[in-house]
Amino acid sequence: MVELRAVRHRYADRLVLDLEQFSVPRTGALAVVGHNGSGKSTLLRLLALLETPTEGQVFFNGALVPRRARSSLRRRVTLVEQRPILFRGSVRENLEYGLDLRGIAGTAANGIIGDVVERLGLQPLLDRRRHELSDGEVQRVAVARALALRPDVLLLDEPASSADRAAAGALYRVLAAERAARPFAVCIASHQLEDAYRWADDIRALAEGRLSPVTPENLFRVELPAGDGLKGVHIGRVDLFVMTDRSGPAVLAVPPTDIFVSKEPLPSSARNVLSGRVTGMSIDHRGAGVQIRADVGGVELVAAVTAEATRDLALAPGSPVVFAFKATAVRVF
Amino acid sequence: MEFLAEGFRRAWDLLVRGDAEVYGVALLTLRVAVVATVVACAIGLPLGYFLATRRFWGRRAALTVVNTALAFPTVVVGLLLYGLLSRRGPLGGLGWLYTWQAIVVGDVLLALPIAAALSAAAFQGVDPRIHRTAETLGAGPWRTAWTVAREARFALAAVITAAFGQVVAEIGAAMIVGGNIRGSTRTLTTAVALFTSQGDFGMALALGLVLLAMALVINVALQVLQGRGSG
Repeated sequence: MVELRAVRHRYADRLVLDLEQFSVPRTGALAVVGHNGSGKSTLLRLLALLETPTEGQVFFNGALVPRRARSSLRRRVTLVEQRPILFRGSVRENLEYGLDLRGIAGTAANGIIGDVVERLGLQPLLDRRRHELSDGEVQRVAVARALALRPDVLLLDEPASSADRAAAGALYRVLAAERAARPFAVCIASHQLEDAYRWADDIRALAEGRLSPVTPENLFRVELPAGDGLKGVHIGRVDLFVMTDRSGPAVLAVPPTDIFVSKEPLPSSARNVLSGRVTGMSIDHRGAGVQIRADVGGVELVAAVTAEATRDLALAPGSPVVFAFKATAVRVF
Repeated sequence: MEFLAEGFRRAWDLLVRGDAEVYGVALLTLRVAVVATVVACAIGLPLGYFLATRRFWGRRAALTVVNTALAFPTVVVGLLLYGLLSRRGPLGGLGWLYTWQAIVVGDVLLALPIAAALSAAAFQGVDPRIHRTAETLGAGPWRTAWTVAREARFALAAVITAAFGQVVAEIGAAMIVGGNIRGSTRTLTTAVALFTSQGDFGMALALGLVLLAMALVINVALQVLQGRGSG
């Protein structure tokens, strides 16, 4: 649908994006993950045809997009920014803005607005003005304002950053329902792998403006047995315990920061205690300490610890290590 | 003190009586000021928007020129315009020297830098996300500009007021290219200068009070408009 080819984008003389090829498929749900400053927002602005890359080309439906994209072309792609802003006027006026530009007014506009407002639970906010809304409400209105336009490509920059987890869940449900009713391309930039795994068909990682191989840390595709509560699943030669009422195919994730690292098994409440050997260590460039990579029973796990802990435990590649984490720390997607 | 009190009494009398000369001069001043402000803003605000929102080679230099022009002395503008409009000047054929149109041109030249420089600052003060949001929702260049302008409405109202204030209060250009001709190019400022030099303090004061009232009314009207448009 939208494709970037040989794109290099600079602000002043700083290279912020360097992509040989990047495309958002026609009806795909794509997640772009990366930490703050990795170039996600810039990438979305280029995909939204709001900025022209310093070098390289942008294609829309296979056709080259001119350096200043026509508004008729831009109307097919809509971006909701990380910290969206509403125009002056009421929420309703904001929802009408893009529809008005497309010549949709009166009953037709009211129908579309009523529909999107109902799905996002915005009815009580319709007559409010921007200064009367919380950050989370502004974000929902901005998503509604974009959804109302029924774009071919919807780009969302950290849509759950201002919202609480419940609101984020509601937002992803609305997106899923919308896409079930009318297939369109969605691309979400997020620094939360959880969100990405929850709903995306495809995940791409961005680091320092470049695509990097997605190295999902401690993610396992499993088949969960039926029933509630504590469940054990085989991964390689180890059993992983997880608390969930889910069953069937699922992805388990163990956050590296939730893993306790020790030289030998310690008595604790942790259901998962896995012994193995350190296979690698790296300084986390995000400043989160040291990443300890270990082979535990044929499974590779990554734990994040402080540099001080690494020193105190005298960890080095090859040294024996024990990784422990609670069954409740294992996330299920 | 008696002289001052007498001046105020005469001014009050002229105003209450509806003196034809006082109100004739006021009307001409109003006409010149409104036309010049409208023309200056019609050119200056889009220019300010362009300078504020577009990145092009020489933009900084253009902003410097516009900002420098803010301090242009009115008599120098009058003098240059006189050179252009005088019979031997390149625009002499228009026959505008000593007409109200010449004053309008002078006033436009003086108000244009105000409209452009201050509106550029006003547009730059608008959150850049407004511009991007309008574009991503499908607005073309004109609608985007209008949306940004709506966000900057308070600052733009102040720009218009400042432009009007400059036009209505300037004397240099009006005197040089207008000629202070009674019933034709005599504006409030040139008339005040004339009557003061003639010793008619009461008349000068009456005209001065009209000038003050005009500025006050314009400011109040803009404030009311701003109040209605808030939120």
